[in-house]
Amino acid sequence: MKHAINNQINQMKWRYFRQSAFFGLLRASALIITLALGGIIFYILYNGLSVISWEFISKPPTHSMTKGGIMPAILGTIYLTVGAISIGLPLGVASAIYLTEYAKQGKMIRFIKVGINCLAGVPSVVFGLFGLAFFVILFKFGSSILAGSLTLGFLILPTIIGASEEALKSVPQTFREASLALGVSKWQTIYRIVLPNALPGILTGSILGIGRAAGETAPIMFTAAAYFTAKLPGSIFDEVMALPYHIYVLATAGTNIEATRPIQYGTVLVLVAVVLGINLIAILIRGYMRRHKRW
Amino acid sequence: MDANVIISLNNVNFYYGQNRALTDITMNFRKNKVTALIGPSGCGKSTLLRLLNRMNDLIDDTRVEGDIIYEGKNIYSPDIDPVEIRKKIGMVFQKPNPFPKTIYNNIAYGPKLTASNTGDINMLVEQTLKQAVLWDEVKDILNQSAMKLSGGQQQRLCIARALAMKPDILLMDEPTSALDPISTAKIEELIEELKKDYTIIIVTHNMQQAARISDETAFFYLGNLIEYNKTEKIFTKPDVKQTEDYITGRFG
Repeated sequence: MKHAINNQINQMKWRYFRQSAFFGLLRASALIITLALGGIIFYILYNGLSVISWEFISKPPTHSMTKGGIMPAILGTIYLTVGAISIGLPLGVASAIYLTEYAKQGKMIRFIKVGINCLAGVPSVVFGLFGLAFFVILFKFGSSILAGSLTLGFLILPTIIGASEEALKSVPQTFREASLALGVSKWQTIYRIVLPNALPGILTGSILGIGRAAGETAPIMFTAAAYFTAKLPGSIFDEVMALPYHIYVLATAGTNIEATRPIQYGTVLVLVAVVLGINLIAILIRGYMRRHKRW
Repeated sequence: MDANVIISLNNVNFYYGQNRALTDITMNFRKNKVTALIGPSGCGKSTLLRLLNRMNDLIDDTRVEGDIIYEGKNIYSPDIDPVEIRKKIGMVFQKPNPFPKTIYNNIAYGPKLTASNTGDINMLVEQTLKQAVLWDEVKDILNQSAMKLSGGQQQRLCIARALAMKPDILLMDEPTSALDPISTAKIEELIEELKKDYTIIIVTHNMQQAARISDETAFFYLGNLIEYNKTEKIFTKPDVKQTEDYITGRFG
């Protein structure tokens, strides 16, 4: 009798041990990721913080980019990101609505979806070359904000379509049925019931897209980014400097790579801050919408 | 056609892909009556109900044969817009499905969008909520989310929402199967009240419910209409042996 009880207690201990061991493993994984992110941010801060000043973010570069600020690049990146989102978001959401709400499921749709997934796997430099051939040369947009925004817009399209599709699918079918059964048309059902409920999910996807659009170098290298221009863009047909490309230029092709090291780190810091800042705005909008969803 | 008939089916067959779900159904639904559709699961009664307001259109790869005549026209003829049919033939679903909107906007949604009868929306909301015997419970919280109501209240809201479109016919697909007995009783009372102004066709798994509230009952089995008669007759001395077996609980 006593032996049986002891045996049971031992088993319980063993199970408890196994459970805590696995939980420990999961905790460790989460910790490693957090540490990696923290490490990167700390490293950038440590190296870059010293050059950050009002001058740095409000003045253009001087002395062949070894001194001065990076204001044109900051503005350029913001223009390009906003441009990419204003092209990618409507197009992506419209495609997702078509794919989930209207299209008859079948071979054609599967084919389109495979296509979209392939698009997601295309290396960004290929997007850059496509943008160069198509927008810059064929459409004669030149190297410009427009060409760069279009290229980045297409780059983030698969992300936005994917997230929007998921968001639309997560709206319960019963909402659609309830609306249609009232004699409300399909488009109105989508516009009034499905889209508002899917919007926070769609925005989450777009946030991922924003991060990518702001940080990519290859797609804008041939389509929008200028090596150096002190002049701010006057229209969407002008070239701009952009943060990722500026970093690339300073680190590989600058006039004095060693001397600009701190500026490089500073620029990286600003890029990270801009991306996080844009994300933050999107997160705030999403949060606002969730709170004001009147359920 | 008999003036008391509001909608009639002539040799209707319905297919999901290759599967025939309804076989050669011919029946007339009578105006201002409650008609109950009963039968074991998978017998086709819900399919039939959803045929009447073309909700089966939403399912890919389905096919209808035969005529369903409403207001002198086949509702499946190509020149008929299903949206117009659904305005006149409302539906209440098995699980309460209010929109994630306020109580007020749940009611106002349909009439506002379909425009034709945008009179005084406030009046309409009050009137339909009263019709659905929900007004006293919600009149002070019209701007609260409908999702916060109890299941029974939500279902009455869904009935009110359907009534706001001023339909001729109200289709109900097991409207009380997700509700507790008290809420069920309230809905049944409501149905009793509504049949003065509307034709009600209700699918139910609950035979006592069919016996309590309906004037006529149709018994379906394996996609066939086995027997269709006055409820009293069906539940006292049915003509067909299968019907008797089902209502006495010998199978189902």
